[in-house]
Order: sequence, then C-alpha cells, then structure tokens
Amino acid sequence: MRTLRDFTSDSAHWVKEQTKVDKGATLLSVEEMSLAYDSDAGRISALSSVSFDLKAGRTMALVGESGSGKSSVAKALMGLLGSNASLKGRAKLLGTDLLSLPEEQHVQFRGRDIGIVFQDPFTSLNPGMRVGQQIAEPLIWHYGADPEEAMRRTVAALAAMGMPDPEQVATAYPHQLSGGMQQRALIAGALICDPKLLILDEPTTALDVTVEARILELLEQTRNDRNLSMLFITHNLGVVNRIADDVCVLYAGEVIEIGPKDKVLGNPSHPYTRGLLASLPLLRGERRRIAPIPGGFPDLRTRPSGCIFADRCPFAEADCTSTRQSLRALRPGHEVRCWKSESTGAWPEVKRKGTRARPVASDTPILEARGLRKVYHRRVPGGGVTWEWKAGILPLPTLQTEALAAVDGIDLRLERGEILGIVGESGSGKSSFGRTILQLNGAYSGQVLFNNGDVTNLTEAELTDLRSKTQMVFQNPDSSLNPRRRVGEAIARAMRLHDKVGGGTREDVERLIERVGLPQGYYDRYPSQLSGGEKQRIGIARALATGPEFIVCDEPVSGLDVSVQATILNLLEELRDELGLSYVFISHDLAVVGHLSDRVAVMYAGRIVEIGQASQVQAPPFHPYTEVLLESAPDPRPSAVRRENKLQMRGDTVSRSPAGCAFAARCPRKIGTICEETAPPLRTFDGGHTIACHISPDDLVRSPQYPESEKDRTSDSQ
Amino acid sequence: MSIYILRRLMGITGVLVVISMLVFAITQIMPGDVANVLAGQFADDATIAAIEERLGLKDPFYVQYFNWAVSALQGDFGESMVMEQPVSPMIAEAFGRSLVLAFFAFILVVIFGIGIGVWSAVRRDKPTDHALSMFSYLGISVPEFFWGIVCVLLFARLLGWLPSGGAGNLSEDGLLGWSAHLVLPVLTLTFTLVAHVSRLTRSSMIEALDSQYVLNARAKGLPERHIVRGHALRNALLPSITVLAIDVGWLLGNIVVVEAVFSYPGLGRLLLFAIERHDLPLIQAGILVIALVYCLANLAADLLYAFLNPKIRYGQL
Repeated sequence: MRTLRDFTSDSAHWVKEQTKVDKGATLLSVEEMSLAYDSDAGRISALSSVSFDLKAGRTMALVGESGSGKSSVAKALMGLLGSNASLKGRAKLLGTDLLSLPEEQHVQFRGRDIGIVFQDPFTSLNPGMRVGQQIAEPLIWHYGADPEEAMRRTVAALAAMGMPDPEQVATAYPHQLSGGMQQRALIAGALICDPKLLILDEPTTALDVTVEARILELLEQTRNDRNLSMLFITHNLGVVNRIADDVCVLYAGEVIEIGPKDKVLGNPSHPYTRGLLASLPLLRGERRRIAPIPGGFPDLRTRPSGCIFADRCPFAEADCTSTRQSLRALRPGHEVRCWKSESTGAWPEVKRKGTRARPVASDTPILEARGLRKVYHRRVPGGGVTWEWKAGILPLPTLQTEALAAVDGIDLRLERGEILGIVGESGSGKSSFGRTILQLNGAYSGQVLFNNGDVTNLTEAELTDLRSKTQMVFQNPDSSLNPRRRVGEAIARAMRLHDKVGGGTREDVERLIERVGLPQGYYDRYPSQLSGGEKQRIGIARALATGPEFIVCDEPVSGLDVSVQATILNLLEELRDELGLSYVFISHDLAVVGHLSDRVAVMYAGRIVEIGQASQVQAPPFHPYTEVLLESAPDPRPSAVRRENKLQMRGDTVSRSPAGCAFAARCPRKIGTICEETAPPLRTFDGGHTIACHISPDDLVRSPQYPESEKDRTSDSQ
Repeated sequence: MSIYILRRLMGITGVLVVISMLVFAITQIMPGDVANVLAGQFADDATIAAIEERLGLKDPFYVQYFNWAVSALQGDFGESMVMEQPVSPMIAEAFGRSLVLAFFAFILVVIFGIGIGVWSAVRRDKPTDHALSMFSYLGISVPEFFWGIVCVLLFARLLGWLPSGGAGNLSEDGLLGWSAHLVLPVLTLTFTLVAHVSRLTRSSMIEALDSQYVLNARAKGLPERHIVRGHALRNALLPSITVLAIDVGWLLGNIVVVEAVFSYPGLGRLLLFAIERHDLPLIQAGILVIALVYCLANLAADLLYAFLNPKIRYGQL
C-alpha cells in the first residue's frame, strides 16, 4: 500500500505520490480488451479486442448505441463488473494494468486515480445523506483527512463547479437540488481526490440542453485547468462534437472507427459511422429524408466470422461476410475496420413513398385551444398553516398551497393534416398541454374545440366517442404496454372497445401490425420479447387501432437510439401522409421537432413564446429563449460554428414572473423592468411567424451576431 | 414536520374514539341482560330493577356511553363481574408482565430480523443466505404453540434448564430467577416474528445494494463494509420500520397464545379468561389497552420514518 496518510490538515495541500504526466504522453492504454458475460442464454461476448490510447489532457469519446459495450469499458476500468463477467486483455494506467489488479488494490485506484460520473444524477446520489458528506468521503477513506478539512475542500470543490452557494449545497440533501446541481455535485465528488483520469458515462443525457451546454463547458474548462484526461461515453454525436478531441466508435463490442474528432465526424469512413450521421435530423438543416440503418445488432453469442456490420451494411459484398476485418490506418491516427471504406459512397437515401402532404388552412381546424389554462396546487415551501374545516366540525391543519399554472393561457389551432411540434425544456408544460387537450388531465379553464365542437365538458359517453378520434403515443412503451398481454391482443382490445376499424379480428390487427413495419407474427409476442423500437411501433399501432384523426405524440423517440429514432420518425411521417392524420408532436429536441413538424411552438413556463413554420423558428428573428435553446443544442457537424460570447440563461430551473414575460427572470436579452411588469406584445412576421417579446421587431430581426444559416447547410454530412 | 405530528395525533385520537364506541357497543349487542346475569337466576324483579338503576342501564345508550367513556378516561373501567374487584389494577398488573415479554421479544426481533436480513442480502444466493432463509421460514410457517411446546419439552422437561411456565417475582426470585421464566416465551415469540422483518430487510437491502448510488459509492473506492453500513442500510431500513410497527400487532396476537402455552399470567391470559367467562368490563379494558398500544406503535413508526427520511424532514430548499 502506498503512503496515503500524508494529508496534512493544517495546510490546504497534501502531498500525493503523484507521477507527473506530461501533456501529450499516454495516460491510459487499453490493449485487446475482451469481455464476455455468462447468462442463462449462454456466454455473450460484450467486447472484442478493444484497443485505444488516451493521452494526458485530452478527451476521448467512446460512441455507440445501446448494447455497443461502451459502458462495459468503463466498468471494466473501474473494476466494477459483476461476478458473471470474464475479462481479458490489458488496460495500463501509467504502467499499472488495471484489469489484472486484485480487488483490494483496485479499490485504491477508484475515486483516487480514476473518477467516474454516471448518467443519472437523480439516482447516483444517496438520498439519505447530505451532499457534502458524500463528496468528502473519498478524501477521508483514501487520505485519512479529518472531516473538517475534508468538508473545507468539498466546499471549495463545489465552488469550483460554479455553485453560487457552496456551503448551502454541501449541507443539502440530494432531493433539494435541481438535476444540473446534482450533476455538478457528482462531478465535484469525482474530482475531489484530483484523479488523473475522469470517466463520464452519459453525464448529460438526463439533463435539459441548456443545462447540458453549461455542464459541457464546465468539464472542458476543468480539463484544461487540471491537465485532466477524460473518457467521455455517449450516444450523442452532437455532444461528441462539442467536447471530444478523439472519437472511438464502438459497434457490438468492436472498435469500428477511431481517430481525431474532425476526421471521424467530418469525414466518416466506416459505413456504420456514416449511417449514424445520416439518421440524425439536423438543426437548421434542409428538410431531407433521414436514412435509418436497417436491422439490429447481431447475436453476440457467436461473433460472425466476417465483418460484424455486414448484415446491415448497404455496401456489403460476399467478401465482407467471409473475411474477418481488422483495423487499418487511413491516415496517421485515423483507423477504420472496413477493407473497402474508400470505395463506398454516401449512405443511400430513402425514397419517400408518395408525396409529402401539405396541410391547408381552412375554416374547420381539427383542433383549437382557446385561453387554455391548467393549474396545479403545490405546497409553499416554508408556508404557514391554515385550519380547514372538514365535515363542518373537524378542524384539520393544512399547509398553505400556491397555484402553479402548468399551462398558462394558450391559444392555438391545428389544421387538418398538420404536424405541430411543441418544444421546451422539462417543466415547460408541454406534456401538460398535450394531456389537457386530450381531456386526460382533469378540470381546466378555457376551451378545447375538436372539429369545431366544444369538448370541454363532455358526458362519459361523448368522451368515449372523442377518445376513439383522439389518441396518444407515449414516451415510454415499456410502461405503457401491459407486460402480461400479447401485443396483438392489446391492439385488438383497443379496436373492440371502440368498435371502429373492423371488429378487432386477428386479420385487422395483423394488417395494422404490418402497417407499422413489423411482421404479422408479432401478434403473439409479449412486450418483453420486443426491442425498444418495435415496442414503440406497437404503441403507434395501438393508437391507430381506433381509427383516430388526431394523435398527441409525447416524446415518442426520446428513449430510442438514433438509428431507431429515424425509423419511427419516418413511420410517423408516412402515416400522416397516407391517413391524413394530424399530430401534436412534443419533444425536448429541437432538431427532431424541426425535422418532422410543419409548424413549431416553443413553450416556456406554460406559455408559447414563439410559433411559426419549422424553418422560421430555426432562423432569425428569434425569441431570446428559442435562441438560447438553439445555441445550446449540440450539433454533430464539425463545421458548426461555436461562438465565444454565447447567450446564456440565468439559473438552471424554470422560474416564473407572473405579471410580465414568463422568461424575464432568465432572459439574457432582457431590456428592463417592463419585461417583468407588462405582458409581452405579440410581434408578427411573415407567414404567421409570431414572437411574444418586448424587444422591437427590428431588433429581433437584427438579432445577435447569429451565423448565417447558409453556412451550416453546406457542410451537411455526406 | 410539526404539522405532520399534529395530523397523526388527531388521526389516532379519531381511531381510538371509534374503537371505544365499538367496544362499548359489545355490551349493547351481547345477548342476555347484564342485570339478569349479575342478579343471578332466581332474583326477583325488584332486585333486577335496583341493579339496573344502580348501573344506569335504563339511560339512553349515548348517556351510558358518555358516562362509561368519562370514567374510562379517568382509568376506571368498572368492576370485574367474575372476580368482583376493580378492573384497572388487574389489567395494569397483567399488562406490565406482558409488556416485559413483548419488550424483550421486540428488541430481539429488531436485532435478529435486521441482522439476518442484512447478512443474507450481502451473501445473496450463497449457502449462508439459503440457510438463513430456511431458518426464518421455519419460524413463520409453523404456529407458535408448536415451538412453545417443543421448547417446554426440550429445555424444561428433558434438560431441566428452565422453568416450563409461570412468571417470576423480581423481589423473591432475584434477577436470575425472574429472567429464567422469560427466556422460553420470549424466544418463541421472537422465532415466529423474525422472518417478517428479515425477509423484508433482505429485499430492501438487495434493492439498495443494486442501486445506482451504491455503484457510485463503490466507484469512489470506499470499503465494502462502509458501503453496506453507511450507504445501503441507511435507506434499506426505512421500509423495515413500517413492518416492525405492524409486527407489534402480531406480537400482541401471538402473546395470547404464548402466554397460554407457558401459563404466563399476562394480559393475554387475562383476556382469554375474561372471554371464557363473558366478563365484559375486563374484555372492554383489555381490548382498549391493546388498541392503544397498537396505535402508539404505528405513531412511533410514522414519526421515526419521517425523521429518518430527509425528503419528509426537509422540503425543497
């Protein structure tokens, strides 16, 4: 054991037996790492001969879809694999092979030489322990620091993470902090022992884009200040573009392409990397058909003898399936596991079936909301107590509550055949809006008109009738499909309940299952036998079962991998064109919303701050909030310009100004007290593009130093 | 937090009022006239009328209830019909003895239940885990009178180490003699209840050990011992507290049987005696005391739960 107890409590520093690592020297060298898990179904190979080098002071992104093995790499380095894992190969951290270390030595490295931050900050912090105590622990266990000194360092570490009030955060419990604050606290904890290597496992995936942008900036700054090396695991190519120096693309446990970021993202060589980029909807991109990657991962019990990607590759030929592929250098530092990558062309485009439907404005919109308001009541923190009389005689002490308008006065109309995108961060009220218009959210004020008929106060029978014409596709098909019912029966039940499309016979259901792109035989499967994308297709089929005219899609693709996301988006578009459906499409992802929708509404704190055609909303003039969202959204194109003086919102969470503009408290372009006191006027530009803002139309048009959108368009990935 | 306590207290008061009404209703519903029973088979009408007058049996039922409730609040539950002496001292004495039994059994259930639960969770699916779960299932699946009889046969008859029944007197028998009478009934009670707590602790402990925050704690390089005690147990104990409070109810039920098997003169045996002889005042007082204990145990559990769970103790910042 190394001397760990040279931590001196009187000075702010401790001497660590630290090997000085020069910038550019190799810090971590992973060689031929292979990993297999034993399961009931047999031995599954999760990683196969993974090798990469991470240099000091640099960031390596480990990219792949779910199941690619990227998180297994992190767990193997940390020595946190379960007992059913068998591991081969080497991973040398400054000469020490981490993979062959016995557990009692590995534990010394964890938290001290390697820090790790996991995906979900909400569950990564112990709910029963103060935040500061959790951060300080490694100092106490690794260096024997006395608790007071450890706490002093903790507060300093929290301050370094940009926490406005670090002492208060240190004594808080996790549930008292916002998601962004929790993730900052976890990063502070991972860095408290000054590790040389920081592993980040999807650290921003659970956060809003504006918070994500700030966390990424913080990480970059920290890395530069400390000469830290980061292994950044993510599925998001936009985030990779934002933070990484080098990229390592994993597919089914194999490195299929590795190299400098600009090369891999700007000039992707492996067909899979090209496919990933082609399946991404892009911000401000010209509206094109996104091209999904067909098929799914191969069975990993027996690795195929040829190329692992061959069965999904549009360029595959006979040699691909017979010859084992090895990494070969295209240029120094850029390697690819494909023997013919130079001779393959761009990822093939998908032809549209039929023409894109154009919604037409008419006197009879399919849906109209007038002054829609949905109010929730919540307890006032630190509020007083009032006595309420129950049943006339029983006094009941009650905590003071306050009204919170999740939907705060929305006027909107949706034309027949139109897709209206609603975008906003968590807490913006977009889901509440979707549920309220479907009459799923209890009482509200204002009016909802469906086919020009008021549906605000319906009887039970009328409501059942409405339900067959209006449907919903949910975010999480895992929890919205009954796990004990065959998917075909679930769909048939919806048909029979409303007795609309046919009588719910097996043929009807099978036709519908086929319509959403699945084999008819899926009728007899249970949800657990389907992949995420297949479950979402069933979710869509069930919504279609009643023959609806209007569907609310609430984040239907946010839990899916990008290649699957592309197939679902294409399916939704096809169905609209064919069946003349109208959607309200809710998402936090501006690129996805902009890709699919005809019109886009941007929501903040229950109000619509900007609405217009999808292309109008993504180009100036902007509402300041839209502008912040656009700037924060990660873009996978290396040419995407990153501005130095970006617009930044104040604070991490939605705050509300009741009288004036909803966004006033956080607006980076606030012009004065008028923003807080007076409701903003609606500024209308060409073609129904409307912005609710006090800034004069001229200033909105001349809006900030925003890069010409033309420039971005030309550099579309091939 | 204080509002929470206040609401709980009001709730419990309500429950006790309802129970007292039900208990009082027994006297109204039970067949046979109380005065007839008291006066005996051959009493004349005048004697019966006198008794009815004395006990206020001619008053409307709500007046009777009010009078009964007021004296019950003052600790006066009337006179036992069979023993012909005030109920309260009898109940108090028996309750004291049962409390001793329940107290020690409860402490052991807490220690062994949580201990076995944590131990099996840490050694999940290993032989230790299987052995421990078999042991606790033996306790829960076989009724307590069986284990009581086994204990008596083994330790009292065969080995002669411990007395087979009765209660000791602290001043006469000394500490050793007094506790010797407690060992077998306490062990029997503990054995039948330990499985509840240990099974629940095991599953909530496994959930905690599989959680993301424990993975995060492991990634910080903390020793496993500290992770189990400092991180996982803290959260895993919360559900156990609730089940322990429910177990107090079970304990009171089991005590009746165990006291009968070991002829231990506690509340359970007294209640059994009262029921056999239709001694209404005694039954009423016994039921009320048990209800009170159960309510207080649940209140204590709720308060402890709120205190240990920071999400209840502290709101948002």
